[in-house]
Amino acid sequence: MIYKVSLQAVAPDVGEIRVLEWHGAHGARFEIGDLIVELETHKALVEVRAGQPGVLRRVLAEAGEWARIGVPLAVFSDREDEPAPDDIEAAADLMVDFVID
Amino acid sequence: MSGEPSLSPLRLFFREAIARSVGEEMRRDPRVIVMGQDVGAFGGSYREFSGLFGEFGGARVRDTPVAEAAMVGLGVGAAAAGLRPLVSITYMDFMMLGLDPLVNYGAKLRYKTGGRMTAPVVIKTTAGAKGQGVAHSQCIEAWLMSVPGLKVVAPSTVADAYGLMKAALREEGPVVYVDHKRLFPSAGEAPRDEILTPIGQACIRRAGSDLTIATHGYMTGVVLEAVDVLAGEGLSCEVVDLRTLSPLDVTTLSASVGRTRRLLTVEEGQVTCGVGAEVAARMRESFGAVPMARLGALAAPVSFNPVLEAACIPDAGRVCSAARALCG
Amino acid sequence: MPDAVALLRKMMLIRAFEEALARRPDHGFQLLSTGEEAVSVGLCAALESDDQLLSGGRSIGAALARGVDPGRLMAELLGRTEGTNRGKGGRGHVADPGVGFFGAHAVVGGNLSIAAGVALSRQVLGAPGIVAVMFGDGAFGAGVLHETLNIAAIWRLPLLFVCNNNQLSVSTPRSAVLAPKVLSDLARAYGMPARTVDGMSLEAVADAAADAARGVRAGEGPAFLELESLRFASHSTSARETRDRDVLAKMRTRCPIQRFQGALMARGEIDEGVVAGLRREIDLAVADAIAFAEASPFPAPGEALTDVW
Repeated sequence: MIYKVSLQAVAPDVGEIRVLEWHGAHGARFEIGDLIVELETHKALVEVRAGQPGVLRRVLAEAGEWARIGVPLAVFSDREDEPAPDDIEAAADLMVDFVID
Repeated sequence: MSGEPSLSPLRLFFREAIARSVGEEMRRDPRVIVMGQDVGAFGGSYREFSGLFGEFGGARVRDTPVAEAAMVGLGVGAAAAGLRPLVSITYMDFMMLGLDPLVNYGAKLRYKTGGRMTAPVVIKTTAGAKGQGVAHSQCIEAWLMSVPGLKVVAPSTVADAYGLMKAALREEGPVVYVDHKRLFPSAGEAPRDEILTPIGQACIRRAGSDLTIATHGYMTGVVLEAVDVLAGEGLSCEVVDLRTLSPLDVTTLSASVGRTRRLLTVEEGQVTCGVGAEVAARMRESFGAVPMARLGALAAPVSFNPVLEAACIPDAGRVCSAARALCG
Repeated sequence: MPDAVALLRKMMLIRAFEEALARRPDHGFQLLSTGEEAVSVGLCAALESDDQLLSGGRSIGAALARGVDPGRLMAELLGRTEGTNRGKGGRGHVADPGVGFFGAHAVVGGNLSIAAGVALSRQVLGAPGIVAVMFGDGAFGAGVLHETLNIAAIWRLPLLFVCNNNQLSVSTPRSAVLAPKVLSDLARAYGMPARTVDGMSLEAVADAAADAARGVRAGEGPAFLELESLRFASHSTSARETRDRDVLAKMRTRCPIQRFQGALMARGEIDEGVVAGLRREIDLAVADAIAFAEASPFPAPGEALTDVW
């Protein structure tokens, strides 16, 4: 299964976030509770952790870049050899969200 | 940051624009200090002073007790004696407690001493409704517009949050800097170079030919949202973001209303004796009986209750209705 | 303590200046400090050239004691352009920071936080000098006094609070409106040195002010002085006198000028000849001040719009 990582609601009034740091390169495997990425909202630093096991396949917003809420930040998959989309538009078509904390 | 070629603008959160502006001014002028509740290590209620305490220390970034009257008085007095203080009043409602020193001393000092003394103080405060109830939601900037000697600015964008703060901190007299709770989640572009937004200059955010909409602060975004809808209906609206409420930029307003011959004013505060009342009166003096309407909060307190809060203050739908009625 | 004759002269000047002003038909209403001369002069004896003094609207004594030129002061009180404030401030707002009189502010209690700001400015800029703020027992009931005492104490501001307790807010006796029996007790709660002193005794005021100023100057933080005085005149030159004539007559026997003069004579430091000489000199100085003010024009109506923004 291929998943997208997108933030639906970090906080009620957050419209945009800034990516601070990814904690793993393409191909990195994450277990439940592993830190995936640190983000910054207008109020706070936010840690996004894996809520299910998975492999990071694509980073769609690099550190220092800005992203609107709802726009995919990354693509995950269960296995590292599954074909994964390359860009934000294609990732946005993914139906299933990767479980995050 | 100054000195580097300005290739692309910086994208910043609204709070970062304020912190950057104040930090730059504190670096260039040792007379600039910050005081207010939770402005120190905590970095401000909206983190808009984040980093300043670490860089400049507790002598220049001062946490105060909950004592708005004295805080404003200290700011004004320190300004008269050579500092350039920024006093942070967390919510604009609490400015009422500090109006005596601001109005009776700060705004009048230059006049009452025949030009021999001035009080270059900035009072920075946050207005607006965001679920915080009847005593934490008010927009009372119109009250301040009638005080001779007091300048009032209200940014609506990240760039102006930055540029107006710099300009305010370099003024020779007192300035009230009014931002808005709902602007803090926003991010936007600020110039890489140190650019001041001149006090006293409005800005045309959208050019149009059928109707002038004069607004300020957070309502500017609401109006722009409405204007997009109206454009789809074939109505071309010009949006004037006042930016400075006192002194009003009558020149820009007149030029716009002169073109469109219609005026809608939109504010989150009260309509009675509001910003729009003043704008409309000035335009009436210039243009006679062109069609005009004022939109603002209902004549009621702003409740914490989300249903009542939304009922009280203007939204894009109400802006659209008012614009259609004026142009119909 | 500075030269005793100079202090006596200052008190006599204030009395003569205010009496001459009150006799003029064109003076508007004024707030006189007759009876309270020892408060201003005793306090200012403890101030140095780098210090600043702020007063309330009852400013004439404070301004003259601090060294504001009598001619420029008179011009200001009469609304003339040669006044300290170009004739725009009047009695409630006389200011001459160049001589250490940062200014009067006519909102009762309104000068307290302003004075703390002036003190803060000194502290942040590392500038020399302390700040003294005079206020009446009328201001003692204002909430901003608490706010300012508190901030001055936690920030250890170089600020000397001077409560000129003349026992009356317009017509209301302090006992009817202020709970503390001793006003300086309040300041002790903030951890600052605080004393109550006979404000009718120049020497007592000067000694207490010198003591208090020494600590403030040494960086020990703020101090508080309550000076118990008597206001011989009504609240203002246009306010009704509400006290009985015999009460007033008895009160006036406690004149601080007579008292100090008598003490100096008893000690042989001055004689009648010195006093007569001072009186002549002061009459001349007051006449000069009035002549200076009268020679100065009123501002043109257009001045209503200058120095506003």
